[in-house]
Amino acid sequence: MRILIVGGGNVGYYLVKTLMAEKHHIMLVDSSLARCERVENAFGGAYVEVTHGDGTNADCLRDAGIYHAEALIAVTGQDQNNLVSCMLAKNYFGVKRTIARVKNPKNIRVFEQLGVDSVISSTARIAGSIDQELDWADVNALLTRQATHVRVREALVAQSSPYNNKRLNEIGLPKGMIVVCVVRDGEAVIPDGTTVLQPDDNIVILGNECDLPQVISNIRGETK
Amino acid sequence: MYIIIAGCGKIGANLVKNLSNEGHDVVVIDPNEDNFAQLENGTNCLTITGVSIDEDVLKSAGIEHADALCAVTSEDNVNIMTAQIAKQLYHVPHVVTRLYDPEKDEIMRQMGLETVCPTMLTVAKIGELLEKTEEE
Repeated sequence: MRILIVGGGNVGYYLVKTLMAEKHHIMLVDSSLARCERVENAFGGAYVEVTHGDGTNADCLRDAGIYHAEALIAVTGQDQNNLVSCMLAKNYFGVKRTIARVKNPKNIRVFEQLGVDSVISSTARIAGSIDQELDWADVNALLTRQATHVRVREALVAQSSPYNNKRLNEIGLPKGMIVVCVVRDGEAVIPDGTTVLQPDDNIVILGNECDLPQVISNIRGETK
Repeated sequence: MYIIIAGCGKIGANLVKNLSNEGHDVVVIDPNEDNFAQLENGTNCLTITGVSIDEDVLKSAGIEHADALCAVTSEDNVNIMTAQIAKQLYHVPHVVTRLYDPEKDEIMRQMGLETVCPTMLTVAKIGELLEKTEEE
């Protein structure tokens, strides 16, 4: 299938990687040259074509080859941009199937009512898992079987934590470690580099088991 | 009329001023509280801090009984999404969308949005003024 992906951030990158393995023909659009180059260098070729431009602009979508696309997937980090890409695809270019990612889970209903075929919110999915009191032990058992060094942990940010009021991209997490989710005031947020940690945030963190203890004690503000 | 203005920039603030002077009930939404400082002292309106593409924010602005909504934030796509929510989900009778990009303006008009494109208005006005100079 020919698929046009708008947004080449982390979600877009791994989407290209996954879909190309399934022999789909991918066209990717992103407004950042750096992100375009990252995808181009990793996967560029006959089955992955990258276009640098604004995926909410009809001319750019035309250049990227939207007339050949059977589906458009909008996965930028901004809900309004994802909606406009899907609207153009569906109503202006007549693309059969539109799929969008939303950050604000409340936009799932909005997007569906505005005609987007499938709407995905990782925030809602993770919040759902937490609501079901998902037991980390199960996840870790799974990880131990599949990926021996990776563990998932949960920790509460203390007032005394060195990470307090810092952005995720400035706290210097060890390589390969990611904050999967931040639960704040009962709401689960999927963080990015600019997310600022606050006291009482509950953090779900995934990483190498050797590095986790140090990071966890930093989060909890425990001095050694 | 009960009117919601999304975006309190130069256009939003002046729109609020004119409409409230004409006796309309006006609510203005902006994510940046500092922008409300542009509203003149004594301007009679409600202010709500938040993003207009959030349904909860629109509800707190009273979208369920609004007669009109003007989407005039500085971002075209935010304006489109705000206008679509107002029009399709809440059936607000009168929705006006400001778009900077002339191409987007044209397409959205074809899709049924009522739009204003300051870029093309300026181009047209300048052309008109130049023509006038030529005639003189």
